[in-house]
Amino acid sequence: MPKLGHPIRTFTVLAAAAAALAVAVSSAGAAPARHSSTTITGAGSTFVQPLVSQWISPIGSAYGYELQYSGVGSGAGVAAITARTVDFGASDAPLTPDQFTACNGCEQIPWALGATAVLYNLPGVKNLLHMDGPTLAQIFMGQITTWNDPAIAKLNPGVSLPSSKISIAHRSDNSGTTFNFTDFLSSASPAWNSQIGKGVAVNWPVGSGGKGSSGVAALVSQTPGAIGYADIAYALHNHLSYFAMKNKSGKFATPGLRGMLSAATSDETPAADNSLSIVNPPAKYANAYPISTFTYVIVPLQSSKAPDLKKFLFWAVTKGQTYGPKLLFEPLPKSVLVVAEKAIAKIHS
Amino acid sequence: MTSLDLTDAARRPFTGRRVRFGDVSLQVVAGAAAAAVTILVGLIVWKVIEGARLSISHYGLAFVTRIAWNPVLGHEIYGAGSFLFGTAITSLFALVLAAPLAMGVALFLSELSPGWLRAPVTALVETLAAVPSVVIGLWGILVLGPALRGHIESWLHSAFGFIPFFGDPSPAGASIFTAIIVLTIMILPIVSSISRELFLGVPHDLKEGALALGTTRWEMVKGVVFPYSRGGIAAALILGLGRALGEAIAVTQVIGGGVFIHWSIFDGGDTLASKIAASYQGSSTNLQTASLVYLALILLVFSLVANISAQLIVRRVARRHGITRGGHA
Amino acid sequence: MSAQGLTGPGLRVDRLPRRRRVNRAMELLAWLAAAIAIAILAIVVYSVARRGASELNLNLLTKDPIPFSFGNQPQGLANAFVGTLVIVGIAILMALPVGILVAIYLNEFAPAAIRNGVSMVLDVLNGVPAIVIGIFVYGLIVVGHGQSAIAGSFALACLMLPLVARATMEVLALVPNALREAGLGLGIPRWRTTLSIVVPQTVGGIVTGTVLAVARVAGETAPLLFTTSFVGTQTHWDPHHALQSVPVAIFELSESADPQDHARAWAAALVLLIFILIASLGARWVATRSRAKMAAR
Repeated sequence: MPKLGHPIRTFTVLAAAAAALAVAVSSAGAAPARHSSTTITGAGSTFVQPLVSQWISPIGSAYGYELQYSGVGSGAGVAAITARTVDFGASDAPLTPDQFTACNGCEQIPWALGATAVLYNLPGVKNLLHMDGPTLAQIFMGQITTWNDPAIAKLNPGVSLPSSKISIAHRSDNSGTTFNFTDFLSSASPAWNSQIGKGVAVNWPVGSGGKGSSGVAALVSQTPGAIGYADIAYALHNHLSYFAMKNKSGKFATPGLRGMLSAATSDETPAADNSLSIVNPPAKYANAYPISTFTYVIVPLQSSKAPDLKKFLFWAVTKGQTYGPKLLFEPLPKSVLVVAEKAIAKIHS
Repeated sequence: MTSLDLTDAARRPFTGRRVRFGDVSLQVVAGAAAAAVTILVGLIVWKVIEGARLSISHYGLAFVTRIAWNPVLGHEIYGAGSFLFGTAITSLFALVLAAPLAMGVALFLSELSPGWLRAPVTALVETLAAVPSVVIGLWGILVLGPALRGHIESWLHSAFGFIPFFGDPSPAGASIFTAIIVLTIMILPIVSSISRELFLGVPHDLKEGALALGTTRWEMVKGVVFPYSRGGIAAALILGLGRALGEAIAVTQVIGGGVFIHWSIFDGGDTLASKIAASYQGSSTNLQTASLVYLALILLVFSLVANISAQLIVRRVARRHGITRGGHA
Repeated sequence: MSAQGLTGPGLRVDRLPRRRRVNRAMELLAWLAAAIAIAILAIVVYSVARRGASELNLNLLTKDPIPFSFGNQPQGLANAFVGTLVIVGIAILMALPVGILVAIYLNEFAPAAIRNGVSMVLDVLNGVPAIVIGIFVYGLIVVGHGQSAIAGSFALACLMLPLVARATMEVLALVPNALREAGLGLGIPRWRTTLSIVVPQTVGGIVTGTVLAVARVAGETAPLLFTTSFVGTQTHWDPHHALQSVPVAIFELSESADPQDHARAWAAALVLLIFILIASLGARWVATRSRAKMAAR
């Protein structure tokens, strides 16, 4: 009689082994993990991503939390927390009333203060270039197309500018940084305000789109003659030049800590929804960098992870702020910190 | 030959005897697997339609041709027009570039190559098919794009710039042109390997008959190999087209992005697939998500049409050649 | 089937030099086409190898990424490599049994109409673009339940299934009917004949088909983009959570501005490419060898 049993036996053994393997792998989650057992997941703004990334390691050592943050853009972050796919969202643009309604019981809390740098790539020009709002608006509308345009030359006397073309890099996704940038352009240029306006996404007349702040930074660094916008941390990290922007007092301010702090003093009382607007502050704030912004964490008032979330957020707005300055995030001003802590305390399970 | 020859009696469980539990179980379990696969495909089609429903009810069929895509809250409007254009331009031009190249490779491998070279070259061409699209995209962003921009785009623009087709070179090498080159590279292996098998399958007596009449090798290829393989080549091209239509990742990495239709191929744009890949994760409203799934639905319809046409052609050709082969003893 | 243009007037002897020149030109073009195709492959592989080799070190496989690091702390893509291992592993566990069973049903039991129908369904499944599969699985599993590696595996399994089923069907068809009839003639029940006699003959082909399918999906990005991309930086093995994967990591790094990120992307691409090439070429070599063995029988 031919040996028929063996292939079946072999097959059964293999199948049992595969099943055991599957069970083992799936229950790997039940076993105590090497690091933390609580993950706190968040998604949203790429503007604040450099700072949040610095928090991952210390939060793990302090409380044993594993912080997971995906930089998908402010718009997507708001959508993610609305769908409760994550524990918190992050947006540089304050929520609209419609978004608050859709989010169903969320609050926004300012948790960092930063600035949007206007990046450029102009090899051969070593000076720190000056720029102002109206000229920048014209550039982004496609009305000024070369570097040696008279308007740019007027702002930079004595600098020899090349005749090369200006390429524009903007965000292709829904971005709080875009909101901040277009907020400034709308405030500085009536033409921009009426034709294009402000928002997390606008109809850019010219330019190529990059995904996320790093996408814009990538476009600028790979394209000689390009101008783009992203949080200042990206300029530092990628060694990109940025303009000194003219504020309302006539001074050309850089996106440094002093410029942000000065801008922040122009609005020290958060509104009822905790939002603040510090773009293009009035002339008496002489050192203000005009494209500064607070950025917000969006959390549900009621969450199953409330205790951990609160611990994390308290840490973020206090100890976490100390990781900011080397990335050019200014620690929250006292008045804002008080409001933030009150808001965090409201989270309950 | 194949199991087609199993007799009917062998298929039925032994009639008149006790029906063996094992036989029935195997047939049921295996049949359930087959049913599950069929249900899966139906589920895919249904889920995609369901996901797009909000946008379909909002826009209807007008969506397909509308050239607009504005995600700005309060001004939202969506349409597939510019992405259909992008898909058409990139896929068709990639096919136009890849087809002669693929034919050349296939002819080389079937007619011209010395025996020792045949296997290695075949393996190498098929290896190109194995390179993942994200790796081709990475190479496209960092190597191909800048190289094209620096050398080819500027030359084409200066030589033929009067044609609106060849506008200003792209700033960073991300453009429809780069996407066309990337797609050409990706569909080359499929078209060439299918064509090679077709050319190898042309009956020797036909080819040698032509050569005996005094034709040169090229005339033999033109007069015998091509006409004989005509249907199969059409299927290969359609399959290549299907591949190009569905390629999302490599295209989104190099195409630059854009919602307007530009005439210059050095501008950015998007195809159906690349738009979905670029925008889906960042979608912030339900209507935007549904519109992106609507794009996926259109893409699915095109891919299915391409796939099924290719299969029908293959079936018709196989039938015709089956009869013909039988005729030549 | 008539040969076209080969009669009389087309083959004029006095035009022979010109015809020979045209022939030569066409032959050169064919050689050129093959050279171009090989050159493209060589350029791509060389780019990946040269740029990836510099960053290729053990850190890549053992250290987790540290985003926005300002120092030069050692980092790598361990979370992505582990994630791909888990995701592809579970995908194999999902696709292999179903694929083999479908092939058994179609080849051994199904009447011709069902066989043709389900074959076409398999071909249709094969033609669905990977990104549509990603959207499908997102809508089916991720919505409401969150991302997970299992969702990613399911998406990859949908892509693998037609390849495994087709490969199994091909080798099942190669098994001579004499074997089946001998088994039945000996009184062995149908199911035993199939599982103990027929299927073991095909194990080589099934393994080859699976390896090729794995090589195909190991590099797929689109299906994972919507199902397992909201991930952290630490290495995890639990498939209930979203895990990072090598193709998604390469995709994200490729769009960054940081040259260090690019270097890591090249290195990961190199590892991925080496794995896929070894798997594809190895499987094909085994397949040609076993085909020769079968033919010699």
